[in-house]
Order: sequence, then structure tokens, then C-alpha cells
Amino acid sequence: MPDLAQTSSEPAPSRTEFVIRVENVSKVFHTPGQTNLGALTDIELDVRPGEFVTVVGPSGCGKSTLLKLIAGFSPASAGRILFQGEEVRGLNTEVGYVPQESKLFPWLTVEENVGFGLDSKRFSRADRERQVSQFINLAGLAGFEKYYPSQLSGGMSKRASIVRALAYEPPVILMDEPFGPLDAQTRMVLQDELLKIWEQKRQTIVFVTHDLVEAVALADRVVVMTHRPGKIKDIINVTMARPRNIFEIHRQEGFDEAYGRLWNIFRHELNIGAH
Amino acid sequence: MSDQVSRAQSQPASSKVAAGAPRSAVQSMGVMGVTLVRFSIIIGFFSLWEIASGRWIEPFLVSSPIRIFWSLIAGFRDGDLLQHTWVTFEEIAIGFPVGAFSGIALGYAFGRSRLLAEIFEPIIIALNGIPRTAVAPLFIVWLGIGLWSKVGVVFLLTFFLNFFITYTGMRQMDQEYIDLARLMRVKGWKLTFKVIFPAISPYLFTGIRTSIPFAVIGAIVGEFVASTEGVGFFIRMSAGIFKTADVFVGIIVLMIMVIVLDKIAEMIEKRALRWQTQTEHIQIQA
Repeated sequence: MPDLAQTSSEPAPSRTEFVIRVENVSKVFHTPGQTNLGALTDIELDVRPGEFVTVVGPSGCGKSTLLKLIAGFSPASAGRILFQGEEVRGLNTEVGYVPQESKLFPWLTVEENVGFGLDSKRFSRADRERQVSQFINLAGLAGFEKYYPSQLSGGMSKRASIVRALAYEPPVILMDEPFGPLDAQTRMVLQDELLKIWEQKRQTIVFVTHDLVEAVALADRVVVMTHRPGKIKDIINVTMARPRNIFEIHRQEGFDEAYGRLWNIFRHELNIGAH
Repeated sequence: MSDQVSRAQSQPASSKVAAGAPRSAVQSMGVMGVTLVRFSIIIGFFSLWEIASGRWIEPFLVSSPIRIFWSLIAGFRDGDLLQHTWVTFEEIAIGFPVGAFSGIALGYAFGRSRLLAEIFEPIIIALNGIPRTAVAPLFIVWLGIGLWSKVGVVFLLTFFLNFFITYTGMRQMDQEYIDLARLMRVKGWKLTFKVIFPAISPYLFTGIRTSIPFAVIGAIVGEFVASTEGVGFFIRMSAGIFKTADVFVGIIVLMIMVIVLDKIAEMIEKRALRWQTQTEHIQIQA
């Protein structure tokens, strides 16, 4: 486990330039009895502070694996990941993580879940309560503080899961297809809310998705990944102005251009897959 | 995932559908009907027993419900049975919590430490292979004829059950909860009591509740082997002199003891696991 909290007190050069640097990272899964499964090959990626980066790619391209490596859930097979200038070894406690399923702690109420990361050393009781109620309000969950996750709808658990990661204010939030299983309307509402929260807090977000529209609508930059073994095919800058209107994102200046480029890459991919 | 709001909204719609479909047997009988049928079965059984006793079967073999009832009253009135009940309860009240606690603690430790599990798992499985009641005579030799040998047997029976179920719970636990908590810099005491134990608590309660009848079995077996008091002693003595009614009295006392202990555990479980969705009886529709 890296003690990033300790090391960051030392002078860290270039820490403001990139929060995350992924250098030549590969990941191979060793499956018993089979050939080794390459999940990621030579990934190079830099993320600047306050940036909203989305990662798109077909399922099984290693998008989630990349997030798990940045979070330090498992080590890279080759290359290294720098976080604020420090190499990630073991769990990276400077990031917040929003998993695919909400994974709220089912035995804690909404408010206990949201406050779970606010430890007593950093937050006084009053601060903690203020922080929790602020984030519950941001997520539109006011009135549901005492509910258990099993009593919430899919969209509500998703919101709670996201603010749980935001509330203790880690500098970077990693999101692994958080809106995947939701219906189209709920998705849009949540995308809109996420952007609003992000515009207030400006934490760095790395957001994995397989939805091209979502990828463009949210991002400053879209990282495009290809089939297994996952490689970065291209990185697209999205120049759309902020704040963005998610509900009419198609009409916004710059959307078509970015989406067109993205779709071109994917069309190419699909053609390869057809033969 | 169902939302309270959406559940409430879906109610009228689903009942409309149900109107056309055949209703389940329980629904059409109603709560009163179910209770009525249940009591008729019980009363029918006891009546048959009462009638059969002395007519078709020797009374000393099966006694009869009325005789058993009067023996129960008599037993408690002269204080003898109360004393026996208390002794057995005492054996369980010491052996059971200690056994459950140690089993849970070791199951937790095995779940946390891979090294510990790898070294000791085969040993524990081998020990578990011993029919535990067969050890009871040994406990009499080691711990004497009194309270502690029975506490030992109760402990043994509770310990293994709780250990295995807790350990299973630890292995089935969702790693992602731990990872998420660790990312939030949660460790030590808070990780154990706010994440791990709640996550395995359904297993803990299963272990505790399934081991209650076994704790009572442990106490009785211990008393059967050698004792001077306790419900097991009372049953053995009564059977020895063909006081069949008293044998049934002893059995009833034990049954009540198990039911009361289980109800207490159930109440605690309901409170502790109130975050869980209540699983209703599964339905397989035609």
C-alpha cells in the first residue's frame, strides 16, 4: 500500500502537470490451463488535474482493467502508473471509485454510506454532517437519508454510489460504466447531475463507458480503445463549451465533429470484426 | 432493485392482473384459515393419541397427552423438574455463548489469514470428522461428573458449527466491498466491525440459530453419559422406571427451551439484519 498521504508532503515535482501518468502499461491475466490473456498493451495516458476524461471501447477491451490498475486493485504486468508523481504500488487511497454496480454497503443507510469515507481525523462531527447533507442534496436524495440501499431504485443507488465517492473529496474519481444498466431517461438525468456536480467541485474524473454519445457529451477528452488486447487507438479532444446541456447535446457546437471522428474509428473497428 | 415508491405504484396494477389469475392456496385460505387448519391437525393428533393409549397401545409405551400434562404440572409444582431444567439451562448458558463466540472468532481469523487457513484447515476438518457426542465420556473423565463436562460437550457442538459457517461466510464475501472500504482509507477496527462483520452477519446468524438445537443435544448427551441432575438425567431416570409420561415431560421441556432460545435469536437477528430485503416465499407459477 503506498502511503501517498505521507509522500505528498515532500516536494513533488511536476505534480500539478499530470495527476495520472500511465507509462507503457500492459496487463496480462494468467488463467490456469489456458494461454495468457492480454488485457492491455502499451497504454500511454496522461490526465491533467480537473480534467474529465472518458474511456470508450467495445466490451472486453480492458477499459475496466485500466481503472483497476489506477486504483491499485491489482498491479500492472509491465510499465508503471504514476499518481501525482508517485508510482502506484498497492491500493491508491487518493482516488475514489464508482463501480459498475452501485455496491453501496447494504447494511448502512444512505447517509451512513455517503459519510463512510469521511474519517474522524479529517472531519469533525459537524463538518461531517454538513458534508454528508450537502452531497445528499446534490444527489437529489434529500428525504432518503435513513433508507437502506435495498429500498432504493436503481437510479437512486447510482446517485448515492457516486456521491459516496465524491463526498470525502479524493482528488481523482474513477467511474466504471456507472450508468450502464440504467434506462435512457435516468441515464440522461444522471449525466446532467454528474456534470453539474463536477462543474462545482472540479475533481478529476476518469469515466469508462461503452456509450459513444455519453463519452462525447461528458468529456474534455475521449480515449478510444480497441479490442483485446486493449490498446489506445486515439484520443479525441472535445471542444464543446461548458456548461453543457445534456438533453440537447446533439445541437451543441462541436458535438457532431467529435462524435463523427469517434464513429469513424468504431466503424473501422466493426469492419475488421466482420471479416 | 425495487424502490418503495415504485413498489407502491405497481401494487394496483399487479392486483388487477391477479384478479384473473388463480390465487395461491395461502391467499384463498387467509390467515385465519391457515391457523384453523394447523390447530385442527394438532388437536386431531393429540385426540388420536389419547384414544389409542390404553385401547390399542400399552399406556406405558406411549403414555397419553392428559397424563403427560398432569405430570408436567406435578413436576414443576414439587420443584424437582424446575431444578433439572435450571441445571440444563446453565450448561447451555455457559457452553453455547463461549462455543459460538470462539467458532465465530476462529472462522473470522481463518478468513483473514490465508496462512492460518492453509496450516490448520485439514486439521480442523479431521477433528470435525470425529462424532462429537462420542467424546462426551472423555469429557466426564477429564472434567468430572458435574457442570463442566456438559459445558464441554455443548461447547464442542456449538463451536464447529459456528466456525464452519463463519468461515464459509468469510470466503463468500464480496471482495469489492473490502476494496472500496480500503480505498476510502478504512482499516483496522472500522473495517472489521463496519464492513466485514456486517457483510457476513447473515452467516453468523445462520450459524447461531442452527447451533441452538445442537447445544441442547450436547447438554443432554453429557447428562445421559453421567450426571446426577439435569433434564437428561430426569429423562433417563424416568425411562428406567417406565414413567413414560415423565420422559415426554422432559422432551417437552427441551423442546420449549429450544423454541425460546431460537425466538430470542430470531428477534436479535431481525433487528440486526433489518437492512436486508425480506425474502418472501418463492413462487413458481403455472
